[in-house]
Amino acid sequence: MAQNARSHRADKVVKRMGRKLTRQMVGSLVGCVHCGMCTDSCHYVLANPDDPTYAPAHKADQIRKIFKRNYDWTGRVFPWWVHAEDIRTDEDLEKLKDIVFGKCTNCRRCSINCPMGVDFAVLNRMARGLLVSAGVMPEGVAAVSKDQWEVGNQMGVLPQEYLETLEWLSDELENEFKDPAARIPIDKRDADVVYAINPREVKYDPRTISDAARIFYLAGENWTMPSEGWDMTNFGLFSGDDELGAAVAQRIYEKVIDLRAKRLVLSECGHGYRSTRCEGPNWMGKEVPFVIESSVLTMLRYVKEGRIRVDKGRNKDSVTFHDSCNNARSCGLFEEPRELLNLVITDFREMYPNRVENYCCTGGGGAMSMSEYTPLRLKSAVIKADQLKATGAKIVATSCHNCVDGLTDVIRHYKLGMKVMQLVSLTANAMVIPEKVVGPVDAP
Amino acid sequence: MSESLRFVSDELQLMAMGFMATVYILRVRWLLKFKASRDRQAPSEYRGDSSFRGIVYSWANIAMPWSMESTSRMPFFYVQFVVFHLAVAANIAMSIIIPYAPFLIRPLIVVRLLQILFAAACAIGCYRLYRRLAHPAIRLISTPDDLFSLALLTLWCFVSIFAAPNRPDLGEGPLMVYFVMTAFFLVYVPFSKISHYLYYPFTRFYFGRTMGYRGVYPLKRVTQMKPTKG
Repeated sequence: MAQNARSHRADKVVKRMGRKLTRQMVGSLVGCVHCGMCTDSCHYVLANPDDPTYAPAHKADQIRKIFKRNYDWTGRVFPWWVHAEDIRTDEDLEKLKDIVFGKCTNCRRCSINCPMGVDFAVLNRMARGLLVSAGVMPEGVAAVSKDQWEVGNQMGVLPQEYLETLEWLSDELENEFKDPAARIPIDKRDADVVYAINPREVKYDPRTISDAARIFYLAGENWTMPSEGWDMTNFGLFSGDDELGAAVAQRIYEKVIDLRAKRLVLSECGHGYRSTRCEGPNWMGKEVPFVIESSVLTMLRYVKEGRIRVDKGRNKDSVTFHDSCNNARSCGLFEEPRELLNLVITDFREMYPNRVENYCCTGGGGAMSMSEYTPLRLKSAVIKADQLKATGAKIVATSCHNCVDGLTDVIRHYKLGMKVMQLVSLTANAMVIPEKVVGPVDAP
Repeated sequence: MSESLRFVSDELQLMAMGFMATVYILRVRWLLKFKASRDRQAPSEYRGDSSFRGIVYSWANIAMPWSMESTSRMPFFYVQFVVFHLAVAANIAMSIIIPYAPFLIRPLIVVRLLQILFAAACAIGCYRLYRRLAHPAIRLISTPDDLFSLALLTLWCFVSIFAAPNRPDLGEGPLMVYFVMTAFFLVYVPFSKISHYLYYPFTRFYFGRTMGYRGVYPLKRVTQMKPTKG
């Protein structure tokens, strides 16, 4: 019997696969015709032309063969005819791990280039989830997942550390505007906006929080930040662990409901936006009773409505825009950042290709947390480096913290001499500070 | 027409078609047994995104080579795809027309056009076989089923060139081979990659539904010049 020859972990992966399969996934598993049209859409392939194992269809086949051997009729009867093969040993699982975590960033570029509509990124994420459920994953993925389960955010930021950071940022804000009302409200009930952030901002980049706070303050927004459930990132998206995804999303949704807020605004983070705005309700299995939007849309609305005044002359350097895969390819957020950029900078240079067709920063899919694959990642980044270089821009703007780290690595490795900035910082820099600031209006 | 040719062009085809239809029904039932996941998130506030538009765009993708980088960058490859699939469709139609409505392909011009189409498909099939074996990535992903299906379709197109005139009076050999091959195909197809057209509506439907709902489809592309390096 096939299952008796499997290791305990391999058996768990195969059995769990049967429970995880959706119609969409099965369609993608049986629909591939091996035409190879996806091959040149992958930055790993383009950067490693002599290694055919990077081809998306080949990577997908490593998952497909298990499905075919165990769940599809032809593969069960004539396995050799359709390359169906069972997964038997822990070594097989390790090999699969290196493919699904190390050779793919789940960027979905191959999916949009597949004539059959095969969504390889969904299959890859499923395979990651199966491996994680069997305890097979890169160390970084295990560590980050543990932090998100146990501490409540993916960087293990303790509540005190978070609140102290907001406290000193509030002090700075108050000093800047000489206004005791210019502070970051915590857990304010009935606010119009709850602002949730990426823990990276607390840990490494608090200026993005203060930039956002300045914008909310000058816009006269009735806003707040939550004391808990503030991490809008979700490692469940990367690890493929739907249970983690649902738990993290629920944590933040419940806090917004508890605060009776009207709108949840997410700071600039591609995977955070996708998992909180798009996938969270799917993982949880229920709709969310409030509006969720990217801070890019919020800032754009403030500028358009005249709630904040901007002077684009304050950002004179040439800027190009990098579309985050999760924002653009999985959530359709690509025009609004450009609209905002054109209001706050003077010299915009489009990257080629762009929007839905942009290449991954190479740090996507949780790749930044998997140090064992860094050499592979940086080698494949030559595609991104060429793309950045060709724009001739001094600044690369992006709406994603993960991309900030990924691009910074690429720029450093390929010595491009560019600076990475987020739209919140460019917008804050372009803001014209009025003599008298209209304070936030509390809800009745 | 001999009794054998009449049998292979009529009863045998019907039996094979019945078998194929039965297997397809079972296959679709099997696929529908898997639960379809939903998109529960709110639609984008800023654009008129819709699942319906996404689905239509996704289904129409096959006729829009400009909609994907993979096809827009390789127009010749796309033309091959169109010609090959048109030839296969014409070939299937011909297998029904010959026994039941032969007058439709009686005009010489129709016969010649079909022969040209089948010859082109045959040449494309040969090239695609070569590509499967020569391109390292394609060779790696090719299964025996992929190679066999392509080889058999190519051979079928070749045989069809001689069957298209539908002249059993000049010798029944070409028609006999053609109909036996067609019947074999009808039985083999549901178990092979050739049945991909059965899945296309499903995969494209779900992908288009999600992408449309999220505002990714229809694809928005800004016309631009590729910047030159240096």
